[in-house]
Amino acid sequence: MSLLTRSAAKVAAATPAPGGGPAKQAPTSGYSRQPLTPYLLLLPALAALLLFVYGPALLSLIGSFFVIPLSGGSWKYAGFNNYLKVFADPLIHQAAWNTLVYSLATIIPSIVLGLLLALLMEKMGRGSWLAKTALILPMTANMVAMAVVFKWIFAFQGGFANQLLGIAGLAPVNWLDEADTSLFTVILLGLWRATSLCMLLFMAGLTTIPSSIHEATAVEGIRGFTKLRTVILPMLRPTVVFVTVLSITGAVQVFEIVNVMTKGGPVGSSETAMTAAHKVGFEYFRIGEASAISFILIALLLAVGVIGRQRRTKETS
Amino acid sequence: MTTSNKVHTALATALGIMAAALALFPFYWMLRTAVAPAEGLTTTGLSLIPGEFDLSNFIRAWDKANLGQAMLNGIAVTLGILVLQLLTCIPAAYALSKFRFRGAGFILGLVLACLLIPNQATMIPTFVGLNLLGLGDTRLGLVLPFVTSAIGIFMLRQQMMAVPDAIMEAAKTDGLGPLRTLVSVVVPIAAPSIAAFSMLSIFTHWNDYLWPLLVARSPDIMTPPLSLATFQNADTGFDYPALSAAAAIVTAPVIILFLLAQRHFVRGMAGTEVAG
Repeated sequence: MSLLTRSAAKVAAATPAPGGGPAKQAPTSGYSRQPLTPYLLLLPALAALLLFVYGPALLSLIGSFFVIPLSGGSWKYAGFNNYLKVFADPLIHQAAWNTLVYSLATIIPSIVLGLLLALLMEKMGRGSWLAKTALILPMTANMVAMAVVFKWIFAFQGGFANQLLGIAGLAPVNWLDEADTSLFTVILLGLWRATSLCMLLFMAGLTTIPSSIHEATAVEGIRGFTKLRTVILPMLRPTVVFVTVLSITGAVQVFEIVNVMTKGGPVGSSETAMTAAHKVGFEYFRIGEASAISFILIALLLAVGVIGRQRRTKETS
Repeated sequence: MTTSNKVHTALATALGIMAAALALFPFYWMLRTAVAPAEGLTTTGLSLIPGEFDLSNFIRAWDKANLGQAMLNGIAVTLGILVLQLLTCIPAAYALSKFRFRGAGFILGLVLACLLIPNQATMIPTFVGLNLLGLGDTRLGLVLPFVTSAIGIFMLRQQMMAVPDAIMEAAKTDGLGPLRTLVSVVVPIAAPSIAAFSMLSIFTHWNDYLWPLLVARSPDIMTPPLSLATFQNADTGFDYPALSAAAAIVTAPVIILFLLAQRHFVRGMAGTEVAG
């Protein structure tokens, strides 16, 4: 048998027989003898997703209707009591308001700055990779470490921010221990980080614009802001939606920087949804209420995600 | 190049350098404080350029924040999670990209929907569940919820889709079974996205704070960010040089990894936006 016919026979063997029983479900790569293979390959991952993603989401819903002792022991049905308590709690009101302020103050500027920086990187001459590296670094930074550093930069005594104020002849500010400035200081760190993430994603998005587009606009003489508005932004729409969804979920779930910098204080002035949930659950040991807050957050962010996904499908189709 | 182009590039470069300086300043201030003598710091403040160097801060930080143990724990937890995620994500991505089977669409939907469920917000209920299993305050508990990653499955699947069917057929005719094909054909082709996902996983879990904060009560299983936060909460609140040194130690591994493999990471991230 010649080589050619041998391989032809192999191809014929690999091609599913038309109308045959097992061929109907034959996998594309042709392991029809082992129909269980894909399920076995998926089993560990699926089991883990059910246990650790769907399970907790469901548990937060169930748990929100119970009084739960953290030390173990039986759960006590509480009806809607946890929700009523959450909605009546001034700490939660403050946290909800602060989370809204934090979100607005970080999301919009970080998206605008991130886009501008990504565009700027394309315009920079030699050495732009150095600037890129520097600007992406905040994204990889450990936020507990950065919160510690920011706490020192904004320390009342000896902090760099107050040194600068001193040079300008202004009185020092007790940034983190005053109710008026604590949230603002946390926002600065959140913005520093979020801008870096937005820029990275916009940079990735910009690379997907084919160079022929840039050539065509150059030929047409479309440049600067006009090019941004009429060509670049429309092509970046999927990236913009994705960055927006990611920014919202990131901002609404802000936790470590608040926990390390201010613990939500002073007097709740920088409390956010997650720090409040953590406090309610693990300082006041009201796990049922913490579950209710978690469930509200999950439902809210799920809605944001679903809307974002619909937007993107609509735009790409 | 025209003069106006040159002016534009120069302007862009100047702005870029300013932005980069702002991005780097906290890192610089961390290192600058970490080498400053501890005495008189809060009364005089610090100059931008260090005058005297005092490296003993690092030793004090290492001892007081129990960083030796914490770094070992961090490495064990991060690598443990990474290995488990690769072991679960690679086969799952392979099944979802190279097999046709009943329920494939539904299962892909289940994976994609996980990307929409916010991770920090599920941590408290996850902890409630883990506590029911009696796994609070254990190393296993630090790793267990992260044995797989929906984003990982998705990233790897996208790349494996690009493996040509002809190659799969060739592997089959060479007598390779599905697992051998995965190991010797698909994984090498998917290597760039495996590398990018691995970095994302390492960044995420080395830096994670909320989950270890909930789970790790005993000091001997604490991870670096948790040890740092505990060190800060302790009475040493004003020992900024030691705190900064500890922060630098905790930050360093991930930053070094990023600088070494930056190109893979940025390129790999380009594919993730389809996921959200």
